[in-house]
Formats: sequence, structure tokens, C-alpha cells
Amino acid sequence: MTEKEAKRHETGKGNTDFFLSALKTTVPVFLGYIPLGMAFGFLIDGAGYHWIYAFLMSLLIYAGAGQFLAVALLAAGAGLTEFAIATLLLNLRHAFYGLSLLDKFSDVGKVKPYLIFALTDETYALLTTAEVPAGGSKARFYFYIAALDHLYWIAGSVLGAGLGSLLDLNLEGMAFVLTALFVVLTIEQYFNSSVRFPFVAAVGAGAASLILFSPENMLLISIILGTLILIGREKLGQRDTQLNESVRQVKGTRQARAAAQPVQDSSQEES
Amino acid sequence: MTDTLQMLATITVIALATFATRVLPFLCFGSREPPAMLSTIEKNLPPMILLLLVIYCLKDVQWLAAPYGIPELFTIGVVAGLHLWKRNAMLSIFAGTGLYMALIQLKVFSFL
Repeated sequence: MTEKEAKRHETGKGNTDFFLSALKTTVPVFLGYIPLGMAFGFLIDGAGYHWIYAFLMSLLIYAGAGQFLAVALLAAGAGLTEFAIATLLLNLRHAFYGLSLLDKFSDVGKVKPYLIFALTDETYALLTTAEVPAGGSKARFYFYIAALDHLYWIAGSVLGAGLGSLLDLNLEGMAFVLTALFVVLTIEQYFNSSVRFPFVAAVGAGAASLILFSPENMLLISIILGTLILIGREKLGQRDTQLNESVRQVKGTRQARAAAQPVQDSSQEES
Repeated sequence: MTDTLQMLATITVIALATFATRVLPFLCFGSREPPAMLSTIEKNLPPMILLLLVIYCLKDVQWLAAPYGIPELFTIGVVAGLHLWKRNAMLSIFAGTGLYMALIQLKVFSFL
């Protein structure tokens, strides 16, 4: 074996280990995406659509909540504009995921468009948490994770749509899996961030929209309302902080002067 | 045929809208630093939207007719309690969904 061949062999072995490491990282998502994808498959099958649509949607859209919403809108006979607006609003949170990945994704090369496309809640969580194994390429590791998650999601949804047409299951209440997912993610948000006001804003905006507007418009209006509340409070808070900061600055200058004084004194003594 | 085209157009629109939300920050801040105001929104919007999504899931509940939304609120309580206790997302989600399906299909709250 020449030196070159040996090196190629090493790299091949490294790649396998690398893939296994990514596989291990994605096991929790596998456990989540198979049944969740199946729930989506059941749902779209129950709505009377061919399983090929479950496959196409999971392949091309690849957004859990977005696809559930799509089935609901299909059943309601929504127009294309409604689909576009509802999807944009529902997935707007993904824009904020990207904001925190600008740096991490700046040097991943040609897989970057795919990584951005495949940025679901779960993949985002893995990419921000998982450590790239020593000596490996970050781009490849990220790609494995994103592609495996995508594969689980497609497999789950096709399985669900296929099984749904074979078995006549009583799936009443199955869509509650989405409510449970959001409850869990909300609690995780509560633990992961120090901000508390957004929860207050959500309860206020959500309750108001629930009472005042029709169920179909409720999400759109409550998000706009909630965002206005957040911006309003931010503006008020800024005024307060600016005041506080100017007070602190004045204090700071005084302290700096006080601190500088003895040094000057001692240098004078030395000279 | 028209239905198929309609469905493919719908899927394309949803796919593009989804990708748009994901690529947006990379298009806007590919080369420059994000402004400070954005980082506060970044911090505050996700928790708010997730809680709004929970509330959104309850949009079709009939609060003034039996069973008064009790199966939904009860299960959400169980999911939240379970998650605060174990912090195991899959356990909380699937135990909750199973419980809700049982409550609904067995009509446990039909006495109300």
C-alpha cells in the first residue's frame, strides 16, 4: 500500500466515523420526526390526498408546523395568497434562527443553501448544540445532521400517509401532537431565555385576538398585535435605559476621576 | 388535472414562503453586522410566537358548550407538568397526545 492509498483509506474510515457521529446526534430527532411525520401523513391521508403529496411536501417544504397548517388551510379551501401569508407568518421565527447562525454558516461552502433550506426547529437546536468531532469538516458534519433529519421527516410522513390508507385508524385528537409540541417548546423557551415579558404579551394579544377575531385570522392578528406590544415596551424601556445610562456615565466619570487621582499623586511622589 | 396543478402550485408557494423565512437573515446580513434593535426582537419574538401558537391551537375550542375546553386545558396541564418534571420533550409530547386521544375518543368528559 502506497502512502497515498493509506491516506485515502484513513480518510474513508474517518468519514464513516464522522457519519456515525452525526447519526448518533440525530437519534432524538429520529424518534420525534418518525411519529410526527406519520401524524402529518395520517392527517393529509385523512383529508383525502394521495401519499405522493405527503412525500412532495416533506421533500420540498420541510416544515412541521407549516405542513400541518397547510393541511388545515387545504381543508378550508384557502387561496394561494392566504397560504403564502400564513406560511410566512408561521415560519417567521426561522428568520431569527438564521440571525444567530450567520457566523456559524459563514464558512460552510457549497452546502450552505441546503443548510438554510433545512433549518427546522430541531435541526437548529442540534446545529447550535452539537460539537463537531475533532479533525472533521464542520460543513460535512452539519450537512449529515440536516440531511438525516430531512430523511426522517420524509420517511415518517410517507409511512403515515401509506399506513393511513391501509389501516382505518381512529385518529380523532391526533393533531393535538402539535399543541403538545408547542407547549414543550414554549417551556424550553422559558428556561433558555431570561426574558419574561414576551409571555405576558402573548397571553394578552392571544386572548384579545381569540375573543375579537375569527379563528382563521387569529394567528396573523395576534402576532402583529404582540409584536407591536413588544416594540412599544422596547421603546419605553429604551428611554429608561438611556436615562439610567446617562446617570451611570456621570457617576462613572466621577469614579474614574477619583480612581485616577491617587495614581497621579503617587507618580508625583516618585518623581 | 386542474386539481393536481392547483396542489402543485400550492406546494410550490408554501415551499418558497418557507425558504424565504429561512434565507431572509442571510440575504440581509450576509456581509454586515445586524443592528442592535434586531437582537432585542430576536430575543423576544420567539417565546411570544411559540406561546401564541399554543393559544392558536385552541382557536376552535367551544368554551361555552360542554365539555368547555376541559380536555384541552387538562391535557396541556399534564404536558406542561410532565415537561417541567422530566424535561423529556418526546415523553411530554407523545404521552400528552395519547392522553388527549383517549380523553376524546372515550368521551371521558361526557358527563359534563
